[in-house]
Amino acid sequence: MYGGDEVSAIVFDLGSHTCKAGYAGEDAPKAVFPSVVGAIDQMDVDEADDDAEKNSASVGESKNNLRNADSDKAKGKRKLFVGSQSLGYRRDYMEVLSPFKDGIVADWDIVDSIWDHAFRECLLIDPKEHPMLLAEPSSNSQQQRERTAELMFEKYKAPALFLAKNAVLTSFASGRATSLVVDGGGGSTTIAPVHDGYVLQKAVATSPIGGEFLTDCLMKSLESKGITMKPRYSFRRKEIRPGEFQTVDIDFPNTTESYKLYSQRVIASDIKECVCRAPDTPYDESAYSNIPMTSYELPDGQTLEIGSDRFKIPDVLFNPSLVQSIPGMESFAEIAPSVRGLPQMVIESINKCDVDIRRELFSSILLAGGTASMQQLKERLEKDLLEESPQAARVKVLASGNATERRFSVWIGGSILASLGSFQQMWFSKSEYEEHGASYIQRKCP
Amino acid sequence: MANAASGMAVNDSCKLKFQELKAKRIYRYITFKIEQQEVVVDKIGGSTETYDDFQASLPGDECRYAVYDFDFTTDENCQKSKIFFVAWSPDTSRVRMKMVYASSKDRFKRELDGIQVELQATDPSEMSLDIVKARAI
Repeated sequence: MYGGDEVSAIVFDLGSHTCKAGYAGEDAPKAVFPSVVGAIDQMDVDEADDDAEKNSASVGESKNNLRNADSDKAKGKRKLFVGSQSLGYRRDYMEVLSPFKDGIVADWDIVDSIWDHAFRECLLIDPKEHPMLLAEPSSNSQQQRERTAELMFEKYKAPALFLAKNAVLTSFASGRATSLVVDGGGGSTTIAPVHDGYVLQKAVATSPIGGEFLTDCLMKSLESKGITMKPRYSFRRKEIRPGEFQTVDIDFPNTTESYKLYSQRVIASDIKECVCRAPDTPYDESAYSNIPMTSYELPDGQTLEIGSDRFKIPDVLFNPSLVQSIPGMESFAEIAPSVRGLPQMVIESINKCDVDIRRELFSSILLAGGTASMQQLKERLEKDLLEESPQAARVKVLASGNATERRFSVWIGGSILASLGSFQQMWFSKSEYEEHGASYIQRKCP
Repeated sequence: MANAASGMAVNDSCKLKFQELKAKRIYRYITFKIEQQEVVVDKIGGSTETYDDFQASLPGDECRYAVYDFDFTTDENCQKSKIFFVAWSPDTSRVRMKMVYASSKDRFKRELDGIQVELQATDPSEMSLDIVKARAI
């Protein structure tokens, strides 16, 4: 048992797109920043090092000192840049890397740097003094969990740790111990049935179509119409006369492709969030050809007119085969046959559960995550499910009316849980770790 | 143990009152609330009270647990009764309260031995008499 005095816990939800971190008991995470990092191999960095360091390398630097020796050896020397600010600054030869591969942590070094950034740069805390509650994907493997425990206890010397499942936190935060959680994340969409606080692993369904995939679709579709999104670093904009601007392109030949793509995605995802909305009925090219245009001003001052794409892109969630009609997304064709639309995934997942709880799952389908916050998505999903579900089922799709609660439901659930006095006895404490080892996490956080 | 359980304690009186409802059948329903980190008895309804009284006893904007002893007649004209467990979590209640009640439910329900049907409701329509009847039979 962790009998610590009343120091507040830290709650962490490391998603595939965004990392959410903050103090337990608060209503929303204090720090929200990208889950990707910039990396520069130290061999290349010699000449770029000077200006990079001056600007905002403090993150990378402090980390290099702290990083334990073995990871340095394994990975060679590279400097990592974490956080929206350091990523917003373009650097020569800086690659943008994600710690995840297919939704699972593949590069612990990056995870480590993200944690470190959150503790020391965003929350300004000493990890030795705060219990840590981490949200984990429903399908996290045993090895991953033990690795997490090792890193938290050995490197950060956290006094206590808890791993809570994403889907369970979302379900509890909406007042339900039994529900079907539809989590529209950045990298993927996951459907997870939760029963009495247990995730029914066999019925969990995932699809690679998440927010980032939609962003890419939108980007390709706009590109095919001759629109280029100029990353913010690639031009300078000056006011030559009041109200009149001049845009001058600047060339940075040493910018990596991954950084360019990252910067373009930032723009495209903003366009997506501003204009896209799920169509009420399946998208149909001819019906939407006369749809009124919506305008959007790009950072360089060009104005975009977006018509049918507003509806077509979100409809990919419901009908993935639509992707094949977007120029430049052909590579998707290989996986397309195995990917199902959202309503089909929901029904398949429910049908894998015990007959006795299906009715209850149909009537408590919870939407969570950034992509699920898309306008009209809830209404559309409910309508499609009504058509395809068994007659006797009462279909009810629920989403918090509050946009923050919808987007951060996992984090908020963790925040409340970790702040409960009664939860103190549930933590996996450092002394238990020392006595039983990392594998004890499976018993403490089932 | 469920993942992310709150660790909330259960006051002994909850079990005792539930035993009385089950064995002596002197109550129609009992509602429970969470107070100072444990589940305690909130209200008790006598055996003459109706389902409407029970519904009225649940607050509109706060979570509760409840058990209800439901009497009904089957199609074969056979008198029966079943004990319902209701997790009442109205949409209008605060997130914190929803989280606390949902994460403590599993543990609490295990303390009450003899529950036959379980319902979770977020608005009165999800625990209407029709639904209760349908679940009982």
